[in-house]
Order: sequence, then C-alpha cells, then structure tokens
Amino acid sequence: MNSSTTHTKNMPIGFKSPDFFQAFSDKRSWEPGWMADFRKDSWNRFISIPKAKIKDERWRFSPRARLGYSDHDQLIQSPKQTTLSEHDSDKIVFQSLDQAILENPSLLTKLPSHTGPQLGLEETFLLASSFAESGFVLNVAKGFSEEESFVCNHTAPTKNYSLFQQNVITIEPFSEITLIEYFDSEDNESSGILSNLSHIHIGEGAKLTRILVQRINRKSTFHHLEKVELSKNSNFTNISLQLGSAQTRIESRGNIAGEGAEFNNFSLSLGHDKQLFDQRTIQHHIAPHGKSNLLFKNALLDQAKSIFSGLIKVDPYAQNTDSFQTNRNLLLSKDAEADSLPGLEILANEVKCSHGATTSKIDDQELFYLQSRGISKSIAEKLIVLGFFEDIVSQCGNSKIVESLRNEISESFNN
Amino acid sequence: MIKTSNIEIDREKGNFHYPTSDYAFDAGIGLSEDVVKYISGVKNEQDWILDYRLKAHSIFKKKPMPTHWASKDLENIDFDVIRYYLAQGQQPSRTWDDVPEDIKNTFERLGIPEQERKFLAGVEAQFDSEAAYSRMKEDLEKEGVIFVGPTEGLRDHPEIFKKWFGKIIPSSDNKFSALNSAVFSGGSFIYVPPGVKLAQPLQAYFRINAENFGQFERTLIIADEGAEITYMEGCTAPKFETATLHSAVVELVALKGAKIQYITVQNWSNNVFNLVTKRAMAEEEAEVRWIDCNIGSRLTMKYPGVVLRGRKARGEVLSIALANDGQHQDTGAKMVHAASETTSNVIAKSVSIGEGRSSYRGLVKIPGHLKHCKNNTECDALLINSESQTDTYPAIAIQGDDNSVQHEASVSKVSAEQIFYMQQRGLNESEAMSLYVNGFVNDLIREFPMEYSVELKRLIDLEMEGSVG
Repeated sequence: MNSSTTHTKNMPIGFKSPDFFQAFSDKRSWEPGWMADFRKDSWNRFISIPKAKIKDERWRFSPRARLGYSDHDQLIQSPKQTTLSEHDSDKIVFQSLDQAILENPSLLTKLPSHTGPQLGLEETFLLASSFAESGFVLNVAKGFSEEESFVCNHTAPTKNYSLFQQNVITIEPFSEITLIEYFDSEDNESSGILSNLSHIHIGEGAKLTRILVQRINRKSTFHHLEKVELSKNSNFTNISLQLGSAQTRIESRGNIAGEGAEFNNFSLSLGHDKQLFDQRTIQHHIAPHGKSNLLFKNALLDQAKSIFSGLIKVDPYAQNTDSFQTNRNLLLSKDAEADSLPGLEILANEVKCSHGATTSKIDDQELFYLQSRGISKSIAEKLIVLGFFEDIVSQCGNSKIVESLRNEISESFNN
Repeated sequence: MIKTSNIEIDREKGNFHYPTSDYAFDAGIGLSEDVVKYISGVKNEQDWILDYRLKAHSIFKKKPMPTHWASKDLENIDFDVIRYYLAQGQQPSRTWDDVPEDIKNTFERLGIPEQERKFLAGVEAQFDSEAAYSRMKEDLEKEGVIFVGPTEGLRDHPEIFKKWFGKIIPSSDNKFSALNSAVFSGGSFIYVPPGVKLAQPLQAYFRINAENFGQFERTLIIADEGAEITYMEGCTAPKFETATLHSAVVELVALKGAKIQYITVQNWSNNVFNLVTKRAMAEEEAEVRWIDCNIGSRLTMKYPGVVLRGRKARGEVLSIALANDGQHQDTGAKMVHAASETTSNVIAKSVSIGEGRSSYRGLVKIPGHLKHCKNNTECDALLINSESQTDTYPAIAIQGDDNSVQHEASVSKVSAEQIFYMQQRGLNESEAMSLYVNGFVNDLIREFPMEYSVELKRLIDLEMEGSVG
C-alpha cells in the first residue's frame, strides 16, 4: 500500500547512507510523526553501532559473513505484505503493520521501549526498527479464547533485496489462542534477506501456542529475532520447523518475568546441501516458581551445519525454578557439522536445572532392521529422521496440525 | 567437637612464611626484556632458550587479556608489581639434610618428607622459583628414568626434551602460556623409557613463600612407548594481603601405548591467581588421565586438554572444584580428537559455597574424516547457599556421520530431606552438610590414590565448616 511516486529506481544504496534513509522516510511520509521519530531514532542508533568485534562469544562457530547484508543493502521496492486470516470478533485486532500504524497506534506505543533478544544481531534489530515495511499486529483482549488458529503468511523478498518486518503480539490476561506463521518465497530463484523481528507479550494466565513453519527457498537468508515476555502464570509454547533458506539465524529470548510462568521452546531443523542453521536462545528466569523447557533437534545431510547456543539464566530471586535445555543432533553425512554451546548460569540455589547435548549418527541396527524389511536405505533414513522429529511435532496437540507438520517435513526431505 | 579442633590446625597448615630478605638472586619487580635476560643468565642457558624466552615475551606483550569470555577479575592482575624470579641460589639437594634450614622447615611443616618415606617414588620440592630438593629412588635411575628441573633437563638431556619442549603448548597458545615461556623457572622434566612402569607416583610440591611473587614452573613429562607413570603435584602459599600469581605450563607426551596419570591437588591461599595451561598429546593406544582438584586460589582458570593423535588413544579428565567465598573456580576440559577410534571422558563436579562461583568450560572437537570417535561429558554442580553461583559453558563441535558425543549437566542443591534424615541420626547440620558434599564427589575421589583421597575429604570438611546456619 501507499507506494509513493517519489520512490524511483535512482534510490541511493546502502542502509547507512543518510540519502537512503531520507528516501525511505519520503516513501513512508504518510506515517504519523511518532512512528517517523521512532524510525529516525533507531536508524541513528544503527549508524553508530561500533564495528563488530572479531571475537564475540555470541558469534562463536558462526560463519558470520554468510549472514551479513553486504550484498543486500537495498530494500525491495514493493514488499509483499504479510497476509492474515480473518477473524470476526471485536475482541481481537489482527492486522498488518501498516494498517495498525494508522488505525491502532495505541497498540504500538511500546515500540520504542522494546529491546529485542540481544543475542548478537543488534544490526538486524535496529534495521528492522528503522525500515520495517511489513509484519503484523495481533492483540487479543482479556478472557478471549478461540479454537481456530490465527494464520499469517510472510513472504521473503526477491533478488538481492532485503525486507524488514516487525510484529507485535499482545495476549491480554486469561486469553488462549494458537498462532501459525508461514514463511515462504515468491519463487525458487530469488536470493533475498527476510529479517523478522517479533515482540511478544503474554499477560497473566494467558496462553499462546505459536507454530512457525519456515520454508523459504534455499537461496535466501532468514533472520528471526524474538523476545517473549511472560507474565504471572502465563504460558508460551513455540513449535518451529526450520526447513528452508540457505542460512538462518534465530535469536530467541524468553523472559520468565512473572511468577509461575511456563516457557516451552521446541524447534527442529532439517538441513540439506550447505544450509546453515545458527540458533541462539536464552531462557531467563527472573521470577520464582517458573518453568522452562527447550528442545532443539537438528538433522543434517550433505554439508549442512547447525549451531545451537543456548543459555539458561536463573537470577538470585528466581528460586524454585525448573529449567531444562536439550539439543539433539543427527548427522547423516560425513561433511555435516553440528556445534553445540549449551550454557547454564545459575545464581539461585532452589532450582532444578539441567542441560544435555548429544550428536550422533543413525543407529546402524535401526537402519538394518528397516532395510531387512525391504525398505531402501534412503527411505529408511527418512523414516528414522521423521521419527526423530516426532516428539517436537506432536507437542502442538491438535491432530490436524500435527499431520500437516509431518507432511511439511516429509516434503522438505524429498526436495 | 574433637574432630573440629583437629581440622582447625590443618586449615592453617599452609599459612605461614619465613622472612626472605636473603635471596641471592632476585630479578626485581616488574617484567621487561632485562628480567627475561637476567633469569636466563642466572641459569646459564644456551642461546636458543634465551631466544625462545624473548620471543615469548614479545608475544605476551602483544596478546590481549581473554576477557571477551573470561572473568573481568583478570584485569586486577598488575604485572608491574610482581617479582618474577627469586632464588636463594640453592641447587636441588639430594638429601633433606642439605636443604637450607628455613626451606626445610617449610616442607617439614607441610609434611613432604614424611609422605616421601611413606609412598612416593620420588619428590621434588620447589620453593619460590627453584627446586630445593629433588630425589628419586635409585633403582628408577638405573632403569633410565629422568626426573629433573627444566634447566637441567634442557642442559643435560637435550636429545630427549628439546624435541617436545613447547610443542604441545606453543608460547602463542594464550597470554599466560606466553608469560610462562618467557620467565619459566622450576618444575619437573620427566622421561620414562620404553616399557618402564612406575609402581609408585612421583611428586612435585610447589610452594610460594614471598609476597607479590609469581611462580612460573614448567613441566614436561614424556612417557615413551609402553611406559607408565603417575605424577602428583600439590601447591600452597601463605595468605598475603596482596595478590600472587601462579602461571604454569604443563605438557605431557604419551607415546604409543603409554599411560600418564597426572594428579593435582591445588590448595593455594585465597590471594593467588592460578592461571595454568595444561595439555597432553596421546599417540596410538596411549592413555592420558588428568585428575584435577581445585580447592584454593582466588581465581583458577585451568582447562586440562588431551589431543588424541593416535588411533585408539584415550583421554580422560576427572575434575573436582570447590568454590568458597571470594573464589572463582573456572575449570574444565578440552578433548581434541585427531584420529579414529579415539575416546574421551570428562567428569566434572563442582560445589559452590557461600558466595563462591564455579564454572565449567569445555571443548570437544571431532572432525568429519574420523570414524568411531566417542566422547562422554558429565558436569554436576551443587549449590550450597542462596548466594552461590554456578555456570556451565561447554562447546561441542562435531562433524561426520560416524562419531557420537553426549554431554549432560545438572545443577542441584542439597536436599533438605537428606540433611533432615542425617540430623535425625544425631549429626549436626554442618556435619550432615559435609557428609552430603563428600557423598556428592565420592565417586571421583575414589579414583585418587588413597593418601590423597583422605586428605581431600579432610579439606572438604574444612571448607564446609561454617557454611550453614
């Protein structure tokens, strides 16, 4: 919407260029002043980011150059907007970012106070704050619950362009919904960067189940930054399927800020070719009696590589915390690589915390068993990988969704 | 109560020192090229060693502190107030009678000669920069076992030691290995000829006596094909007001089929920065085992490693750390697999008491061209008080479809139920706590030689005292 005539092919290149930012501001001149100020602020912070340190623990094992913007510092001219399912209730707002800026600015007032996950990609956080042109706002009023899932479709940009998205999700107290997010590409040839930034706030006693299916083409780059703030007795469950992209960097922070809150973070990645899945997470227990559970599973073929870096942090005040973190990697080729950096920082003593990381190949006996029943090796491997992922897929409860997720994985395996 | 008073005496065991104005050799305060040259000159070293030292000194100056991942407490080390070399001009004596009186008294009080009579095959006792006493049983000497300091080792047996010196841990490995390579003095150079199996352990005892002193001993142990050796080191220092630095480099070479067991019981006083680089290389079917116990020091950073270079080599690290008020035990293990069918095992247990902090840092690396490599890592942390802290930061980098790795870590606190149970049976709370902690580390302590495991249990009792209530 609002594609402006001032925007021409001669738009200056480079996110750091003042002319570039000016041209972008002109294009978005329909926006209210507070939004423009927020963008300007964010951009000023972006241009003053200090040069990256060579040795940064948050980037350990990561081929950082693959995740940068150097060949992509141009925005797509008419970005494809996030499309959303329709819900007929006055208790919810579910609309695109642009629409929300005009119609529901009150839902965006907290934007300047958001800090993002802060796990290494400050650049993307500030770029998304400056240049977000797509994304959605979801606000669920107090005490609302619906069986039917909320669905949104995000589209990655084409040909060396970048697209920044900003999503604001607020679940008010005692509401309960399921949100499904799909990430796709327009075609199989383009190689853009989709940078997605989400702010999620779960109110007291509320529950959000979010399912994320990422099937962007294998030439594009995907950045996904997310910060979840959990209030008292709330629950956030994430089930992510990372299937596409050439390289993906995920940063996820869950702040267990209210007593008795529960944070479940489940993710699987299936890597082919030279796919890279760089995953950084933190489970930060600020309030007592919280629970968190994390399970990240990676199955890697060909020359695929995964990095899992997770931290459980328990503050001194967060007594009676139960927090677990597990990373399981299955290597299916001799060139595949899985790096694990599971971490614990425990400052309270009344806690149950543990982490585990394993990396292994397919059990020869399992493979032999299937082959001896006439199943070819490649199908047997696929079956074992599907089984390996089953405990993540089955977490989402709804049998229809479970079935569709199984199909997603199965299809991705065939390509 | 009787037990408690016994313990009180022991706690102060290492906390004494004799005034030391009569050092014949003193490199002065602070570090410069002249200090490096002075140390080399005192030792009458060959030119290549001086060159090696000077090169290391320039690396040390260039390298930044590793504070991008390590504790900021490192910045409190002031390299300009440290004394890098202090010696009374002593040559290592062969009998305790020849050891200067005050040094002998020191080691008598620490019980070293007594231990030697009881169960050791050889002892070296280092006082500040140089060894005061070094003796090994005569039959071992006849079998060709060499047990000397680095100066003698490089001077008298260059054909054996020069080949491996600085090869496992190059000067440029890290800032503190560079520092050690520049100013090293004292330590043990050991060679065990093919097939010789030492039935009793060799021991080195490191003692810091002077204030503001830095101890930089250098150890190189070579076990030739099929040889076996157990080596133990102990360390203490008096409690000075100012910080003291201990920065050692320990290199182990286990050739084909050799076995090396290296046991450390570190009980430095709480003013010592203990920054040690330890690494072993294991050839085909060799076995290296680090048993590492850290009780003392202000900040310990030590990650014993094994490079598994030959087929079927095996590496193991068993580690116990106790961090009390004002202490940070930053320990761990590194296992670098560089040949097929290699296996490694790491078991680390830490106890944080009061405001103590213990951290585990690990590295496991297996490249893709290897087959049938296995690693198992277990880290268990116990938190005693609500101010105690524990961290775990392993790094696991695995390639290839024929290797397997498992890592597990858990954090727990003392179970109130079990303490209650013990109190029901008449133990007071602190005894119950002590018993609990001993139980927590018991399966590791059993791996230690008997004399050491008894000593360790006593040290744990000591540390636990007054930690509750």
